Amino acid sequence: MAKPILRVENVYKKFKDTEVLKGLSLTVYEGEVVVIIGPSGTGKSTLLRCINRLTEPDSGDIYLEEQKIEPGKSNLSYIRQQIGMVFQDFNLFNHLTALQNVAVGPIKVKKMEKNKAMELAMKELERVGMAEKAGNYPAELSGGQKQRVAIARALAMDPKIMLFDEPTSALDPELIGEVLEVMKDLANAGMTMMVVSHEMGFAREAADRIVFLEDGVVAEMGSPEKIFNNPEKERTREFISKIARLNNGCKDQEVL
Amino acid sequence: MVEHIEYFISIWPELFKGLVVSLQLSAGALLLGLVIGLPMALMRTYGKGIVKALAVAYIELIRGTPMIVQLFLIYYGLPDLGILLDRIPAAIVALGINSSAYQAEYFRGAILSIDEGQGMAAQALGMTKQQAILYIILPQALRLVIPPWSNEVIYMVKYTSVAFLIAVPELMARGKMIISETFKPLETLFWVGVIYIVVLSIIAKIVDLIERKLAIPGFQMIRED
Amino acid sequence: MGINLSANKVLASIPYLLEGVGITLKITALALLLGTLLGIVLAIIRVYGSGVFRQFAIVYSRLIRSLPLLVILFMLYFLGSEIIDIPAFWAIILALALHTAAYQSEIFRGAIQSISKGQMEAALALGMSKYQGIFSVILPQALRRAIPYWANEATIVLKDSSLAYALGVTELMRRGEYVSARTSQPLLTYIVVGLIYLILTYAFTKSMARVESKVRIPGLER
Repeated sequence: MAKPILRVENVYKKFKDTEVLKGLSLTVYEGEVVVIIGPSGTGKSTLLRCINRLTEPDSGDIYLEEQKIEPGKSNLSYIRQQIGMVFQDFNLFNHLTALQNVAVGPIKVKKMEKNKAMELAMKELERVGMAEKAGNYPAELSGGQKQRVAIARALAMDPKIMLFDEPTSALDPELIGEVLEVMKDLANAGMTMMVVSHEMGFAREAADRIVFLEDGVVAEMGSPEKIFNNPEKERTREFISKIARLNNGCKDQEVL
Repeated sequence: MVEHIEYFISIWPELFKGLVVSLQLSAGALLLGLVIGLPMALMRTYGKGIVKALAVAYIELIRGTPMIVQLFLIYYGLPDLGILLDRIPAAIVALGINSSAYQAEYFRGAILSIDEGQGMAAQALGMTKQQAILYIILPQALRLVIPPWSNEVIYMVKYTSVAFLIAVPELMARGKMIISETFKPLETLFWVGVIYIVVLSIIAKIVDLIERKLAIPGFQMIRED
Repeated sequence: MGINLSANKVLASIPYLLEGVGITLKITALALLLGTLLGIVLAIIRVYGSGVFRQFAIVYSRLIRSLPLLVILFMLYFLGSEIIDIPAFWAIILALALHTAAYQSEIFRGAIQSISKGQMEAALALGMSKYQGIFSVILPQALRRAIPYWANEATIVLKDSSLAYALGVTELMRRGEYVSARTSQPLLTYIVVGLIYLILTYAFTKSMARVESKVRIPGLER
């Protein structure tokens, strides 16, 4: 078995009175693509945010390789550099061009020389097919283009793992495909990825493992083959068929 | 008509000297206001405990009292503590402190209007909170603050006239001096008013130009006119 | 000892200063009354008026907002000495009113324009006249929305009323100067005067916030 990159152990998180994560444990191995699915409110996004400490878990441990991720520790920035994050609503820096958005992390955080960082940023933009728009500001890009730049921005930090928090759910249907293409390329290139998404087509094609989250814990996981065709639990089956119906009903067929 | 123009030509040199003083006061006060106001905004927005409380108290104290009281406190009151300021420095300090509280609120408003995701994305890249503020939040906030800030510039040029009350020879004071010589109050004030209007329109145009220059496509506040 | 004595004199002058508060409040209230009425009228003309009226409202707002209050104040005051007699007390009220009206016209204009177009269309569709639409549909919503901005402007008027000092009206600020001269305690005196203004603006802001929540329409976001 490949070596574990990320270990989440027994994580709890409560918001006010609602317990969102209830002792969740999960391990992601090198080069693996894990797609996380589950009903809304089961803590999928919270899990991702807890991993790079944008949200503080109440208890439990998270390790990146052998380093424990801890709040208030000086290694937090270092750890975050190694975890790429792609947000649902892109969060591109509004005052920077596409190129600058990708370069700002290497320059400010990694203290990379400016010319080198720009070169690197251009390469990452090429990788996501956005080199042509390098000089454009976020407001001049479509949603799909923004998300591709956001992916390049995360890649520029040379992360060990990439977290995707519903990367296509804020996109118009016709723009979803281009983002998924980029993500598939990444997966094929061997990037370790954790993807919260209900794009079943992507999951079927690119995922090594599907994790069904329900009620704050991992309810079931397995290969796409198993989860889609032969799940152990009735709840998983119900959820999958509901998602499939929704996808077929209102989304572009192409995506699936 | 000719007679009015001639009158204006005769008083212009005096008024011009006053205008220069008014503009100097404004520039000094705006700069001082910026230097104090921006840190106050950061303290109020990001500070905790006593730091935040201090900023809130400072800002609300200044915004809750008339400028003339602040001016008199500094010019007439501070000598009681052994701090003597000349008229012009006293006016700049008073106007600057006054402006700092308003500028702080403009900056704070701009900072708060920046989407939360911006800071989050910066931190996700590994930036510290300070780096996120410095490189991501502030550059955006400073652009957003330009329209309210330009209003502050105009307010400040107008309010320098209050310095006339401690006999700083700015535009308003020169006007009053001329009146006591020529006994033509309305005509003199008319020209004083015209100068303010012209100067302020020019300033508004300049600020507008700067704003255009710094504009980022699709990212600016709708300017209130 | 001497300092304590004159400090006591300042404190003993507080009732005298408070009488000045009465005058300050009177000036502020009258100026706000006139200024608000004029401001609303100008705003309505600006949004719904046409031709020369609308032009006038625009030019008025532009010009007044470019003039220092002191210039307006002295113009009115000297207008008094040359044409019709305007006592200092009324000169400051009128100056404040004319000045704030320009700013308020902008506030109310913004508030009116922030009400969705559909409101007026629905009023017209019901058979209301344009005036009925303005007064019974648009304004009741716009005025509510304008409250916080109006309240802010009102505290500016309260603070600016101190400029009556320049005409010798014996409101709070002028009385402060008398006390300062009499006691030779400018620092303490102006601190006391400042605190009184602070209390006034604070109390006003708080009560306006209460008014705002009282008249808020349930479920309607600001």
